[in-house]
Order: sequence, then structure tokens, then C-alpha cells
Amino acid sequence: MAYAYLFKYIIIGDTGVGKSCLLLQFTDKRFQPVHDLTIGVEFGARMITIDGKQIKLQIWDTAGQEAFRSITRSYYRGAAGALLVYDITRRETFNHLTTWLEDARQHSNSNMVIMLIGNKSDLESRREVKKEEGEAFAREHGLVFMETSAKTAANVEEAFINTAKEIYEKIQEGVFDINNEANGIKIGPQHSTGAGAGGAGGAGAGGASSGGCC
Amino acid sequence: MLSRFSDVLQTAADVLAPPATRLEDFEYHWKMILNFYERFDDNCKIHIEDTKIPHHLHQMLQLIVDEEKEQQGGTVGPCLEAIVQRSICLLDALTALAAADRPPGARSLALTAATALLRRTKQPCVNSVHIYRPLQRMLVQCNESPASPTEKEEVELLLTLCGLVRKEPGLANIFTTPFVEDKTSLLTVPEDIQKLIPLKKVHTPRKNPLFVDLTQNQLPNVSIIRTYDRDDSSNGAESLADDVSCKSQKTLYDENDKFLLIDLLLSYLDSADNQVVLRACEGIMIVSSLPEEDIANLVTSCSPACETIVDKLAARYRRIPPTVDPNDVDQLNITWAYVAQDFGDKSYSKFHGYRELTTFFSWLDYCDTLMKECHQSIASHLSRTFRQNFLEGTAEAGVTDLRLAVLATAVLSKCLKVVDSTDLINEFSNWLVGDGEVAEWPLLHTLISNCLSDNYDLALETLRFFESIIEKGTEHSMERLVLSRVGTRGYCREPGGGGAAAGGGVPAAGGDDTDRDRLNDLPLWRERETNREAMKQLQHEEHVSEQINDILSHEGLDLGGHAGAAENIHTIVNSYLLLLPRALLSDPVGSDYEHYIHDAHRHYQYWLDITSTFDWPVGLTGNDNTASSTHSYDSRPEADIHIHDAYYNNNNNSEQNLDKQHNTKKETKRYENDEFDEGPFLRMLFKLLSNMPYQPYQVNLHLTSIISKLALLPHPFLHEYLLNPTLPVAKSTPTLFKTMQELAKKLTTEIPRIKHYKKVVESTRLQLMSEDPSYDEVGEHNQLVESLIVLEEFCKELAAIAFVKYQHSLHAHG
Repeated sequence: MAYAYLFKYIIIGDTGVGKSCLLLQFTDKRFQPVHDLTIGVEFGARMITIDGKQIKLQIWDTAGQEAFRSITRSYYRGAAGALLVYDITRRETFNHLTTWLEDARQHSNSNMVIMLIGNKSDLESRREVKKEEGEAFAREHGLVFMETSAKTAANVEEAFINTAKEIYEKIQEGVFDINNEANGIKIGPQHSTGAGAGGAGGAGAGGASSGGCC
Repeated sequence: MLSRFSDVLQTAADVLAPPATRLEDFEYHWKMILNFYERFDDNCKIHIEDTKIPHHLHQMLQLIVDEEKEQQGGTVGPCLEAIVQRSICLLDALTALAAADRPPGARSLALTAATALLRRTKQPCVNSVHIYRPLQRMLVQCNESPASPTEKEEVELLLTLCGLVRKEPGLANIFTTPFVEDKTSLLTVPEDIQKLIPLKKVHTPRKNPLFVDLTQNQLPNVSIIRTYDRDDSSNGAESLADDVSCKSQKTLYDENDKFLLIDLLLSYLDSADNQVVLRACEGIMIVSSLPEEDIANLVTSCSPACETIVDKLAARYRRIPPTVDPNDVDQLNITWAYVAQDFGDKSYSKFHGYRELTTFFSWLDYCDTLMKECHQSIASHLSRTFRQNFLEGTAEAGVTDLRLAVLATAVLSKCLKVVDSTDLINEFSNWLVGDGEVAEWPLLHTLISNCLSDNYDLALETLRFFESIIEKGTEHSMERLVLSRVGTRGYCREPGGGGAAAGGGVPAAGGDDTDRDRLNDLPLWRERETNREAMKQLQHEEHVSEQINDILSHEGLDLGGHAGAAENIHTIVNSYLLLLPRALLSDPVGSDYEHYIHDAHRHYQYWLDITSTFDWPVGLTGNDNTASSTHSYDSRPEADIHIHDAYYNNNNNSEQNLDKQHNTKKETKRYENDEFDEGPFLRMLFKLLSNMPYQPYQVNLHLTSIISKLALLPHPFLHEYLLNPTLPVAKSTPTLFKTMQELAKKLTTEIPRIKHYKKVVESTRLQLMSEDPSYDEVGEHNQLVESLIVLEEFCKELAAIAFVKYQHSLHAHG
């Protein structure tokens, strides 16, 4: 399907905070209580509309375990946005945010939009991290903050879409150089100029077409 | 979907009868699977997804996951225990299904089920023989054809196993030949399983690296001793299993051993499906990043991983069409991990050769990332292989082949620009400039002569390449390119009679003054009396002087405690800013000067950081006083003596350095008898510099950019050689400032001959500063005037650099 822009996202955070579930809820609108451990990365995509424009989100769900951090690091570079997720019922996942943030800032481009997500807001009775603490952390580090529940779908749409909105605004302000692919943004086919000849003719389009989502 | 459906069934069943125990359920589903195969007709073409097998498998899996949640202290529940004890030989059955692929789709299902078991359970007890043995069989028997329809599932299983090994390195032994050497057993299905699941026998895999005949070319044994000794008490399954997790056991590997896990992953790198390739890449990275030395040795010595990875890079390089526009190369910004997805997009082609270039650079990015993440010994091995098999074996020919040289240089220059891992940068630099004590390095000479080529496209790309080489500066490449000659200070004619580099005759006493007079002997000086520009020139000089004073006092560097030093820096800055007569200047106000100072600050800090670990002489050592320490960067001739002394004093401080001191002295002596030779690289730069009026603007731009980078380097000798216009040198010794003066002289003579030259200069400047990309394509350029503007800006830049370095030395020591 045609799109005006394509944004690349990554989802990061400790293991078991619900990264894969957030992605599944956003792309498939369902919740799966038993989930395979993510090794390396998983991929998902969805189309959204901002400001009347079709925007394709490509989302890479990374492995939270320390053992697979080498793979995760490869995805920082070239992402336009990141959802940094912790689990409101596990204090240690909140305590690790600083490390995640440092890792992300070190390896990503400086304009990457980071959204802080406190997940599992449905488990109020087991809450260990107050909402105010999440807000304070976000304020201190210049992030956008939101509590979500991948189980009830609360705020899940908003989390992904608000991140996209912020990236979109940054594009409008000219902060992102959209011609540099390293920024994780691509202009859709109908927007690109001067590429007409190569695009339609498919000079080198003989490669395998995998990942046929969207 | 199935899970929801089964939940409904379960609920219904619970109402009718009291729930069975979990193990009973587990046994029930197992029997249902066996029943199916008991009655199975081999001619049946029904797809496995249309049978009940997936449902039963899923239920069994779910039961294991459920029971694990209830287990305390890492014990194993009854369902998994049944598998570990092989009272229910589920994994053997899965292997039989995978091998036979009956009914159609069974292989895919079996692989997925095995993967799910390993990923969904926290403790899959892989160290148990009844778990790992079937897994070995499955790996060996499924990896038979490169484009198998189940390659996605196969590579997922492999990646999962990599993940397990990453978390429990002892498991690596399960995937090395000492443990899988029993090939016949691996290729058959155990008899009891054949009875339970009576399917046709499998054939021997053809492409499986495990079955390569090793009887020929026996290699000497190199032992890799596994001294892995870890206390891990959390694994309760061990007591149940035949323990081969080798946690505290020594295992010998020799070169004939294979690391099955990596070898299998390598075979998927050729897949046409980018997602499969990506998975294989991830698996290799996960295993390679283990900190265990012996696993790293397995990867480098028992698997062709490094060679295969570099060969793929070389193959991708060779596929770049020779007709690619070299200018397109620099635009690319590729991340290996994202390319697999991007390639699904059919519109993903921006220019001719885009996909080929992307394929190549994404693989380079993978190599680079792998080298940053992997174990140090893998990184060393991989970077050596990169040099031998890619740079020397593949790329070098392109640089020397004049038909291909422009594109080859552009690609290599981009390669060097994007790589980030230390090992790779080092090997790359060493390949370019040569290593060891080799005096002449053919590749470097080729590159230098390419810079001097009449083919300006080639000259430009090669200059860009050198720019990358300097930007990625390694101590070795700096040494080879510039410092090996300058480091002797052979350019310096010692004041007081040594006449070190006098060359063609010792000049008379007071030669300094003669030299300076000669240097300042521009036509304009003589014409001053008659030229109506003279007054303006004088005013201009005063203005520049005032400006410099302003800056000096603004920075707190007025003539306080460092009167002499400040005066010196004033002289130096003046030499650059007044090199060209005012009448020719396109921007006499010098409004950009502050801007240049700002840039120079930033860049100098960058170089200080980069070179902080280099074994370069600093200005002076700690036992010298502050006043003299400023001298190294104020470039006074008398300060040079201090540097010289300091250098040797420094060496004397440590016994280790005595040899070096000796060598340096010997070298100095050798050069004392010869004329100073600035070396081929600096010679090329000076030659291009004096040739500026006849070269394209872009060439000149990159040329001056390279020189200013060199001038920024915090090396005291290179600094004084490049940045001290008042340095006493022999007449025959070329310096940057002399070359610039010659150039200025040439321009001063020739430009006024152009009709309305002031207007031409003005309009050319406007055009160049507008950075309009179409300007380059317009045919008619006044190269002469363009080179004037480049020189003018270059002067400001050098003045700023000299000033910033001086200022920094004050701050550092004051």
C-alpha cells in the first residue's frame, strides 16, 4: 500500500516487560499470554494516519535479555523512534532504564524520539512503580511518557501513534534529514522525486521479496 | 487460534468429568499422535495442518509450559520428565516427522514445535541426552538442500539453539564433533521410534558440512582445551539426565573438529530469503559474542566462519556493476539489520547499482558490527581474513586498474569511512600504508600517483580516500604517511651552525634574515611605492593586526606573562592572513575568521582525543616549566631547541626507550647528510598545492582539507613543519608556507591580467559560497580565480588552527 512516510521503530527494555505483547497488540489487536522468548529481533508493521497522511510503521521488537544485547545494538542505528518499556509491577525493570537509555543514546542518532512506557497497567494491585516516578524519569530525560496495558490494549495505540506524531512534527520542523536513511525515515514512493525511472522499471528488483506485510 | 479452541474443549471436558492429571493429558495426546501414525497411509496426500497432529502437539507443549509455572526451585515437572526419561519420546518422534516430512508439512511443524519447546520453557533440559540427541539428528537431517521450503523454520531452530548456548556456553559441546561423531546413528531413526512412527527412511544430506570427508588432508592436531568450570546449582534437571553439559569437564578439540552450530548457520547465508540470512547472521553474532575463549577458538579454528563471511563480502563487491556512478557511492547509509526488511520493498532502488551497493555495504556493516561485538580473538582473525581475502585478494586490483580505479577508490574510501571497529580500521590502514619497516609500499605509491593523475575524477576520489585515511587516523598510518620523515626534524636547520639540513651549501650567518626577506619578497612589496593599492594594503594590514589583537585580548591572551609567545603567534597568524595582497582578496574583511576559530577548536579537541593514546612526543614533559611549554605551539625557532631536548630527555626517562632514542639519533644522523625528504605523500600534497590554478575546484577543496587536518594534529614536529612560517629551513627544503607563497606569487601576477578581475573574483566567490550544486555542472569556470578563493579561505583556516593550538597550549599548561 502507498504511504507518505515510513518510520522505523524499535522496542527496547528488560526481558519480560511485555515488548512482544505490545507489538502484537498494536499490529494484530490481540493479546497472547504465553509468548516465546525473543532471540534476536521480531518484526511487525502497521499503517496509521497522521495529519491525513498514510504512515507506515515498521517495528522491530528486540530481545531484552543481556545475552542478546549485541543484536539489539545493531538496531539502534537507523531507527527514528524507540519505545523504552518497563514493567510497573517489577521495580528492577524501572531501575534499569538509565542503562537502556545510555545504550540507546550512545548507539542511535541524536534525533531519535524515545517514548517511555510503563506497561502492565492492568495489574494495579501488584504495582511497584508509581506513575509519578515514571513521569519524573521521563521529564528528567526529555522523554514522552505513558502507561499502557498490552493485555487490555489501554494506551497501546496512543503509545505508537504519539511517537509517530512526534517524529512527524520533527520532520515538519526540519530536524530530521529525511534523505538520510540512517535516520530511520523513508519517503513514500509518491513523494520521492527524481527516482521515477529507477523505481518503476525495477532495475534491481529481482531479489527475494520477503516480509510481505502491508 | 488453536489455543482458544482447545480452551473451549477443555472447559467442556471439565464439566463432564473430573479433570485428569496433567501427565495423563500429556500421555493422551501422545497416544493420539501415535495412533495417527499407526494407521497412516504413506500415499495419503492430506496436509498435516488438516489433521489433528498440530492440535495434539500444541496441547503437549502447553502442558509443559503450564507445569513449569508451578514448579518450585527449578525442578522438572512430570511431563517434561517423561521426555527427559524418554518414557515419552516426543523429540525423537518430532525428528522422525521432520526427516520424513509425512504427511506433507510435517517437517515444518516438527521444527516449529521443537523451537517452541526450547523457547517457551525456561528450562528445556537440553543437556539431557534424550533432548539433545534428537535435536542433533534434526539439525543434521534437515539441512540438506540450500533452498529448502522449510529453511525459515530450520534457521529459527538454529537461532534458538544459539540463544541457549549464549546463556549456557557449556551446551556448545553438544554441537561440536566430539559429541556428534557418531554419524550413522545420527542419520538413522532409532528402532523403537521406527516402530512407533513407521515412516520411510531418510537419505543422507548432501550439503551438510558434518559429512564432509575428513580422511584426506589430515591436519596436525591443535588442541583447544576446554577449561570451563562453573558452579551452577540451579539446574535440577541434571540429576535426571545423562549429564553432558560438560560444566567442569575438559574437552579437547582439534582442527578436524567441526562446530556444527556455526557451520549450519553459514550454509543459510546463501539463502535467497533475506530474513533467513538475517537470522543466520544473528545466530553467528550471538555465539561469537560469548566471552569464553574456547568457544571463540571453536569459531575461528573449527569452522570456516570468518573465511565464509569475508568471501561473501568479496562476492558482493564483485557484483557491483562497473558502470555505477562513483558520486552515488557516498550517499549510502546502510545498517545491516534493516536491509532484510527494506529489500522486500520493490521500489527500493534509487539509482543504477543501488541494490548491489546496498547489498555490499550492508554486509560490510555486518562484518564491522560483528567485529565490535565478538570475542577479541574472533575479531583479530576476522580482520586479518578481511585484509587477505577482501582487500588484498579482491579490492586491490581495482585500485591499480585504471579503468576501474575511480569507482574502486570511491567504494573503498566509503568502506573506510563507515567502518568503526578498531581491528578493521587497523587492518585497513595497514593494508593502505604497509606495515613493518617496508620502505616502499606499492599500493601507497599507486594511490599517490593516482592523486597526481590527469584524470581529475580519479585524483578527487583518491584524495577523498586519503582524507578518510587521515580521519580514521591510526598511529601507524600517520607515522607512515607523514611522521616518519618529519619525526627526525631533518627539515630544521639548527641555528648556531649545525647546518643540519643545509643540503646545497651552508648559508652565511644571518641566513634567517635573508630567508625571511626572500619569503616576504612579493612583487607587491616592491610596487608599494607606486601602486595606488599600497595605502589600502597598509590599512588592511593594520586592520588585520588590530583584529588579531582583539581576538588575543578577548581570549585573555594579551601580552601579559607570555609577551614573547603572544608576539610570535601574532606574527604567525599575520603571515597567513597577509599572504595575499588586499587587492586580490575577495573577502578582505575576514568575517569568517571567528567561524574558522570556532571550527578549529572543535576539530582540535577531536584530534586530541583521537591521538591521546598515541606514543607521540608531547610539547614538553612535566619537569619543564610552564613558560617553555608554550613554545611547542608558538613555533619559535628557539622554542624548537627545547622540544628537541625535551624529546630526548623524555626518552631518557625510561630504559625501555633507550633503544628508540638510539635509533632516532641514528636516523637523525642519516638525514643530516642528506637533503630533507618530506616523503612521497607530503611531496604530492605540495605539488598539488602549487598546481591549484590548473585543477578543478573540488580537487583543491579536498586537498586543502587534507592539509588542514594534518596541521591540526597535535604532533610538535609536524606542527612546526606545517604551521611555522618563520621556521629556519634550508633553501632546498620544501615547506607548506613556501609552497603557499609561490602559489600566491603566481596568482598575484596572473589574476590582475584578467579583464575586470575584481568583478570576476567577486562573482566567483558568490557562486562558490552559494553552494549551488548546479554550479559544478556548468562548463565554464575560472579555475584560476577559484583557486584564489580556495587559497584565501585556506589561509584563514591555517591562521585559525595555529591560533587555536597556541591558545590550547596556554590553557593546558597555564
